[in-house]
Amino acid sequence: MKHMKKVIAFLLVALLLLPGCVSQYANKVDKEPTPAPAQQTETKTETKAEEKPAAAAPTEAPAREKQTLQVWYAVSGTSGDKFVAMSKAFDEGNDLVDLELSYSGGSADTATKVSAALLTNTQPDVALMYAGPLYTGGRNDYTMGELVKRAEFDVDDIFPGMLDYCTYMGQGICAVPFGISTQVMYYNKTLLENAGVDMTNPPKTWQEFYTLCEDLLTKLGGEGKDFTAFDVSDAPWLFKSMLKQNGCEIVVQDENGKIKPVYNNEAALEVTDFWYSLVTSGIMAAGEHDNAENRFLSGNCAFIAATSNRISRWKGATEFELGAIEMPYFKEQSLALGGNVMVILTDDPQKVEAAWEYVSYLTTAENNAQFALATGYLPIRKSELTNPDIQKALSENALYSIAFKQLDYTFAYTHFEQMGTMDSLIRNMLNKLEKNRGTSQDLLDKAVKDLQSEIDEG
Amino acid sequence: MSKNPDIQPMRIRRKRLNGYQWYVFVMLTIGAVFMLFPFVWMILSAFKTKADVYAYPPRWIPSSWQWQNFTKVFEMIPFWRYYFNSIVTSVIETVLQIVISIFAAYSITKLRYPGKKLFLAFMRSSLFVPMVVTMIPMYLLVASLGWLDTYAGIIFPQVTTAFTTLLLMSYFDSIPKDLVDSAKLDGCGYFRVLTRVVVPNAKGAISTATLFSFLGNWKSYTWPLIVTTKTEYRTLPIGLKYLMQESSSEYQVMMAASLMAILPVLIIFIFCEKQLVRSITLTGMKS
Repeated sequence: MKHMKKVIAFLLVALLLLPGCVSQYANKVDKEPTPAPAQQTETKTETKAEEKPAAAAPTEAPAREKQTLQVWYAVSGTSGDKFVAMSKAFDEGNDLVDLELSYSGGSADTATKVSAALLTNTQPDVALMYAGPLYTGGRNDYTMGELVKRAEFDVDDIFPGMLDYCTYMGQGICAVPFGISTQVMYYNKTLLENAGVDMTNPPKTWQEFYTLCEDLLTKLGGEGKDFTAFDVSDAPWLFKSMLKQNGCEIVVQDENGKIKPVYNNEAALEVTDFWYSLVTSGIMAAGEHDNAENRFLSGNCAFIAATSNRISRWKGATEFELGAIEMPYFKEQSLALGGNVMVILTDDPQKVEAAWEYVSYLTTAENNAQFALATGYLPIRKSELTNPDIQKALSENALYSIAFKQLDYTFAYTHFEQMGTMDSLIRNMLNKLEKNRGTSQDLLDKAVKDLQSEIDEG
Repeated sequence: MSKNPDIQPMRIRRKRLNGYQWYVFVMLTIGAVFMLFPFVWMILSAFKTKADVYAYPPRWIPSSWQWQNFTKVFEMIPFWRYYFNSIVTSVIETVLQIVISIFAAYSITKLRYPGKKLFLAFMRSSLFVPMVVTMIPMYLLVASLGWLDTYAGIIFPQVTTAFTTLLLMSYFDSIPKDLVDSAKLDGCGYFRVLTRVVVPNAKGAISTATLFSFLGNWKSYTWPLIVTTKTEYRTLPIGLKYLMQESSSEYQVMMAASLMAILPVLIIFIFCEKQLVRSITLTGMKS
């Protein structure tokens, strides 16, 4: 027995070492300085960059000192790879700016990291992160609002909804959109075709969508079958879009500029009742949103509302053919924007200039178009839609065409400190609603009241 | 032949056990299957193709064994570097935690000094403070010491923990006072009582505490992420998170990385198992 343990331990160690030994890469890592995840992926993405080079990086050398910029980024996977490749292209093409890239975790991790760093003045110079305006406008730093006015940036070319997404408390622009997304209604084309559902005229309104889902349930659901017609991975995000579609504002600002949540009126009640009907009819599972994407990918769910950047993630990952339709609506088409923004967090004027050069490079029409195509995030400039690569993608891939078409009716509300709390309260409210733990009106009132208390407490 | 009074009850007990054995075995087998299922699934998924992972109905056995899932992990993140950092930080943290906890538990259970109860209450109450509350003040402290992007910055804020101290205390309490007193009569000072009497009698508890401590340190994610920006100091959980985020469709790669990541924990468990089982057995016998 004693020897057996040693043998097992030895085998485990051997198993640990085996993949490393067979990997040429492991040898490389031992010999060379260890690169960051970002740098690591650069080798891989460089090839991609060679195949489809991004726009030339600025090469003119103005008379100023060389600057090293610390860049934190909260995207990984395909998006992270592409972001790093573009940053690397900028770095290589610019003798006066060096970039030190560091992956900063998910959106919540990055928020904690940036908050802590700001307190000790160890913040990065530039960050690609969610809710960036809270860390610039929230500190009364509107430097980026001035920088975007420069003629060469052409701020008018950026979709207005995306600029709204870069404001803090309605006081002005304090970030630049990059890696913005909306929700897209994906569907399992193979499943629907096999069920004989015709999608040549897809449902336009939520009521039409509801009828289609009921039909699907009759054909594919039933006793003992683990099938739902629809689900959504980020419920608060879709709920906010639905509110706006039904003519209900989410938050308003009073005459003193104070944020006031208003999503408990008659229009909001209609949306909430519709949401509940999706559960009671069996179209949507109650409280299963965290598992929605897995259910969809395994063929147990026909439709899913998920972020547009799944276009790149799910490409080739499903055994079925993937389709998409424009998001259904109530009274008018409307979709809430989400995703990341670029923020400059340094106070040093020379670094601000270097950082702006970098941000401007990433957000040129040509470069951003390449980023959008590689990741499924949305173009931020109107002129990107005329880009030949975008045009080609639109004609070849229906998913892109749906995601980009939705740009016409996106919206954003201003950033405020408690916006994360608001999402959390809406998530709890919907969870209780789906599990029948209160009436729609009571739950809405409580969500609004709790948020108002949070805002009042500051 | 004279009857041995000790043997008879033992026979009766064995007879009873035999009667119940199949129930026990069935229950243990069901329990074992439930416990092993995620591990087996993880091991098989680590060798699957992307299509196998998403196949419905699920495919248990990979259609072809994909060893390249493992090499892909090395291509996506600097796995060895993260591995090395995780081992360095986890081992040092565990050693320091256990040493500090042994001293703290010994002083609380076996020594008398003023303010002991207050200290104990203070230590217990620290269990109710979530890490997010202390994170920013701790970051300020670490930054002021110049420990950002250092091993010290990762290790030292995590070495004091009430949990292992309380765990050891509950065991040290059970060591008879007479044993300690007789050691003192033999001329042992406080330190020798600890090293010659208390620690040798608490190997099981120390093994358990070591296992828990190592496991906690091995999977620690948020703190190392907050205090490091350079790859040279980043740990394995950060690398795994990088793989998970946005590449979540690549389950087979994540499973390969996870499989490699749990191996040190399994190795530690193998070496602690004997003491761990012994400590559990002794705990049962005490009652």
